[in-house]
Amino acid sequence: MLPNTIQWYFPTTVKEATKLIQKKGIILHGGGTKILEPQPRGSIKGLVDIGSLGLNYVKAVGKTIHIGSGATFADVAQFCRKKNILTMLGNSLGSAASTPLRNRITIGGSLKDFPMWSNLYAPLLALEATIEITGERAGVFSLEHYAASTLIKSKHLIKEVRVSEKKHLRCGVKAFHVVRFEYPIFNIAAALTMRENIVQNARIYITGVKKKFLRLESAEHAIRGKSITDETIDKAAGQISLTFAPDYKFSSGYKERMARVYFKDLLCEIQQGIV
Amino acid sequence: MKIPFSINSAVYELELQPHETLLTVLRNHGFTEVKSGCEEGECGACLVLLDEKPVNSCQVLAMSVRNKHVRTVKGIGTLYVPHVIQKAFAQRGADQCGFCSPGMVIATFSLLREHPNPTREQIAEALDGNLCRCTGYVKIIEAVEHAAAELRNTKL
Repeated sequence: MLPNTIQWYFPTTVKEATKLIQKKGIILHGGGTKILEPQPRGSIKGLVDIGSLGLNYVKAVGKTIHIGSGATFADVAQFCRKKNILTMLGNSLGSAASTPLRNRITIGGSLKDFPMWSNLYAPLLALEATIEITGERAGVFSLEHYAASTLIKSKHLIKEVRVSEKKHLRCGVKAFHVVRFEYPIFNIAAALTMRENIVQNARIYITGVKKKFLRLESAEHAIRGKSITDETIDKAAGQISLTFAPDYKFSSGYKERMARVYFKDLLCEIQQGIV
Repeated sequence: MKIPFSINSAVYELELQPHETLLTVLRNHGFTEVKSGCEEGECGACLVLLDEKPVNSCQVLAMSVRNKHVRTVKGIGTLYVPHVIQKAFAQRGADQCGFCSPGMVIATFSLLREHPNPTREQIAEALDGNLCRCTGYVKIIEAVEHAAAELRNTKL
């Protein structure tokens, strides 16, 4: 629970907000859903609201989609559906959590916190997204580098995420959950560059594993230069080696087996043009 | 501290603590039509429209609502002047204990403004954040369809 002494800040510039969060115990407030989860006592002293920073946008500039960190899951899903672009991302965010929560969960908060159940990371990693941050280590980075390095733990403000549209890309994402509105156990996303039904390049990522996310390089290797057939799908699935943390619902082994099933289904659906 | 809030088209100066949720502040000031259920963003009993978008008020810190408009179910229709959606819920037996009804009505209102002729899939998606432990949802979905038919060609 948050202390009743908490201090609120309402900056109007990114620079001002970035400066404020350099102080100990002062964090950003986007949608606020994560902040309301139990926190270590006294860990949060101040909240910097990002509502006036002008970061709640989703726009296409040329072939690049710019998603401001203040945009909500609903904003992004709606944009993707309306414009019929980045369908994989739109589908993933459009089915995350529930309608009222999608209206609050922001892109920035979800990227910074990277929960195990994130519906956001797998599609963005497969789509080779980049991220722009401010703070002591300001810059533009690949999302993969951001999530895997110490950048994610640094004191920073995420300005936006960028995804470039690519030709000949066939994508899909699948989430494994018990009931629709529950947090997914894992998400698996694939972006395949295909010409004449041959896979030229592949980027396949899974989130929810012990290391938070993993690129399925051996599976990618197994399908590269080949057409997607039942045989290549089986071969690629056989290459996958994953480590999950067990929880009260599923053992690590069960999750791994389910991940293989979902991987196969995903490739089948991409092959059949369903996703 | 006292903060101005715009609720159901009227402005109120409400006393609040900086850590309080919108749900707590609303209920502390008499807006008890906003129900307190799970307080975890799962059940939808506390749904309100924030700048006309449905949100779980238990998941919103009240301080962040400055300069935004809040609409509770009473901002849609009241006991004496019910909205078509509320009438449809009553006529179709879509409420039993009634605890989830304010949230259901808010979610339906938001859905029908965007999709006046919703499919069953769109109804299910719009109500995916609302739990009902009495009806089994069949009557609720029928009520939404009934309200949609009544409201067709009428601006919400």
